[in-house]
Amino acid sequence: MPSELELQISPIVQESLVHNTRTLVNLQSLTASLFGVSAGILGLESYSGFLYYLIFSLITSALFYVVRVAPTSIASEKPPLDTSRYFRGPVEFWTGGLMNGLAGFILTWTLFYGLVSA
Amino acid sequence: MAPSLIRSPVQLPPAEALAISQQAPAILQSAPSAVSSSILSKEKSELWIEYENLILSCLRTGDERAAHQCLDRLVTRFGEDNERVLALRGLIKEAEAQNNGELEKVLKEYEEILSKNDSNIPIMKRRIALLRSMGRVSDAASALVQLLDFSPTDLEAWSELSDLYFSQGLYPQAIYAMEEVLVLAPNAWNVHARLGELQYMAATASGAGNGAYQKQMAEALKRFSRSIELCDDYLRGYYGLKLVTKRILKDSAKPTKQTDDGDFSLPDTRTIERLNELATAKLAEIIRHSSANDRGWRGYNAAEVAAARELLSEDASSDIKR
Amino acid sequence: MAQVPVQTIHRDPQLFYWILFPITIVMILTGILRHYATVLMASAPKKLDQKTTREQRSLLHGMQVRSSFHALSKRSFNSRRDALITAYESGAYLKDPERKGQPPANPMTDPSSMEGMMGMMKNQMAMIIPNTLIMSWINAFFSGYVIMKLPFPLTIKFKSMLQAGVATKDMDPRWMSSISWYFLCIFGLQSVFNFILGNDNAASQMAQQMGQMGPQTAQMFGPGVDPNKQFLAEAENIAVVDHYSVLDGVEDRLLEGIRV
Repeated sequence: MPSELELQISPIVQESLVHNTRTLVNLQSLTASLFGVSAGILGLESYSGFLYYLIFSLITSALFYVVRVAPTSIASEKPPLDTSRYFRGPVEFWTGGLMNGLAGFILTWTLFYGLVSA
Repeated sequence: MAPSLIRSPVQLPPAEALAISQQAPAILQSAPSAVSSSILSKEKSELWIEYENLILSCLRTGDERAAHQCLDRLVTRFGEDNERVLALRGLIKEAEAQNNGELEKVLKEYEEILSKNDSNIPIMKRRIALLRSMGRVSDAASALVQLLDFSPTDLEAWSELSDLYFSQGLYPQAIYAMEEVLVLAPNAWNVHARLGELQYMAATASGAGNGAYQKQMAEALKRFSRSIELCDDYLRGYYGLKLVTKRILKDSAKPTKQTDDGDFSLPDTRTIERLNELATAKLAEIIRHSSANDRGWRGYNAAEVAAARELLSEDASSDIKR
Repeated sequence: MAQVPVQTIHRDPQLFYWILFPITIVMILTGILRHYATVLMASAPKKLDQKTTREQRSLLHGMQVRSSFHALSKRSFNSRRDALITAYESGAYLKDPERKGQPPANPMTDPSSMEGMMGMMKNQMAMIIPNTLIMSWINAFFSGYVIMKLPFPLTIKFKSMLQAGVATKDMDPRWMSSISWYFLCIFGLQSVFNFILGNDNAASQMAQQMGQMGPQTAQMFGPGVDPNKQFLAEAENIAVVDHYSVLDGVEDRLLEGIRV
């Protein structure tokens, strides 16, 4: 956690941070709904469905990191898997999407499961 | 890169302003003249900013017809009495005024509006700008002070006040106003650099005592350093740093170890020399890249680059003489 | 315990066309309607007279000075601090200095503060009315239908919630009635609204509830707050600031950090 003085010396632009987080949340809720569709069509049930969601949303985060964050972040001498150049904390980046997308996932999962297996 | 309509065109060089105002007919044609209020049409707030900026560019290039068209659209959207629309209308009238008498009339209108609604900030600002351009600087300054008394968080007004005081040669007041800008935008590198420039000019202006001189030079040095720290390719920051360090090294006055009463003191000579070298190297790099028009190095103001080149060549010639 | 055989219920596929899709579509449309209703009902920011503006902005100015003291030199910060504290304590920025020290007016009688409350009421209404309407609509038309099966098992406790209106004792709690599809829609449609209406939409109730949790900025100049107390508190805050400047040692940081 950076101290107050460090933050004042190298400030964080709040608007950009909000914009980045919002982009990520958008991506995650979209993909979560799509995962729900695919899980429903595959007819996954109980744990295997949640596992499917967990694995695929982690893959989404990883892809987002590799495609969007990593090139500039590693160029600016951050260690790999460090998202602090664009996001507030690693927890928010890696697991924030799970919570954001869960409701959408369950909705579409239920819908398509019901439609397909009816 | 085409100049964007979203950004304010006030700082643009004339050629780009002309380019923008020549787009005016196309833009006016492409956007619908009346925004339908149906839900399906997405109204973008950018559109209105574009119109405002288009008015400014058109007025600069003398295309008053297009400016009026833009204004009409803003009026149909926001109504006659909107504060910003009123200010823009006043601006167009100012631009169309042929002589001082007409300007006086516009000024009267502003005062009339203000007497009805004394918190109409856009009109207050127009009035101040008009007063200033008519040469009544002290009136403009007092009006600005009055505006800032009830709205002390207005960044634009503080920087205008700073500029006003600076044009009158009142450095301490200009510095104070600039510091207020800094209070409101503590991370603005251009404001840091501007404050550094003001401190430098205040220090080099005659009449400053030795103690005050040293103190102000030290603060100017630090301001430029901070500006570069925040934005590591800011030309004016490096220029100022170069200027200040050169001057300090030339004086080679013994850095009087004054008592530390909250003022900044100069760093040791070795640090200053290194800062000077840094600024020189970076300026040379910027000049080289921007004159070669390399990718990622565009967008520097041509005049500023030329000034930097001059500063460096001056430096080189004095080195040879020595 | 013996394995419970998987229950299968044969449902008419028409259930989907006449219950599931109508509920979903109505939910989406209400969300959109709510968004635009909120946009329409948003009252324009109230015009403030010069004195009120002065009072509020002076307070903001003090806060700005306090939070960005690090950009100033010690001397200029101290001079500002002294000036601000004196002005705050003497009440120079107050709207009407004579009323200093008196308790603030009752927010119920002050017409200007009523408007703020009306705004809040309107938002609440925009949330409550559609919800009640849809709930009762679903209850009136679709109660008692079992329409879907959840893809994951639930404990028996959820039975009463998911199968409201279905009085079948032995049915697996995974079967859900139309009203539970409605609840699922409330929580899950957030992402759909994000795509239709953009991010800062007013359609989702979740976002509205979030907004109500942190209304500090709105409360700051809200009704019933004594500005004099705010000024005094701010004066105290400024007085305790321990000043340092980012300019201290900036040259060394610069020489370390920047390579050409």
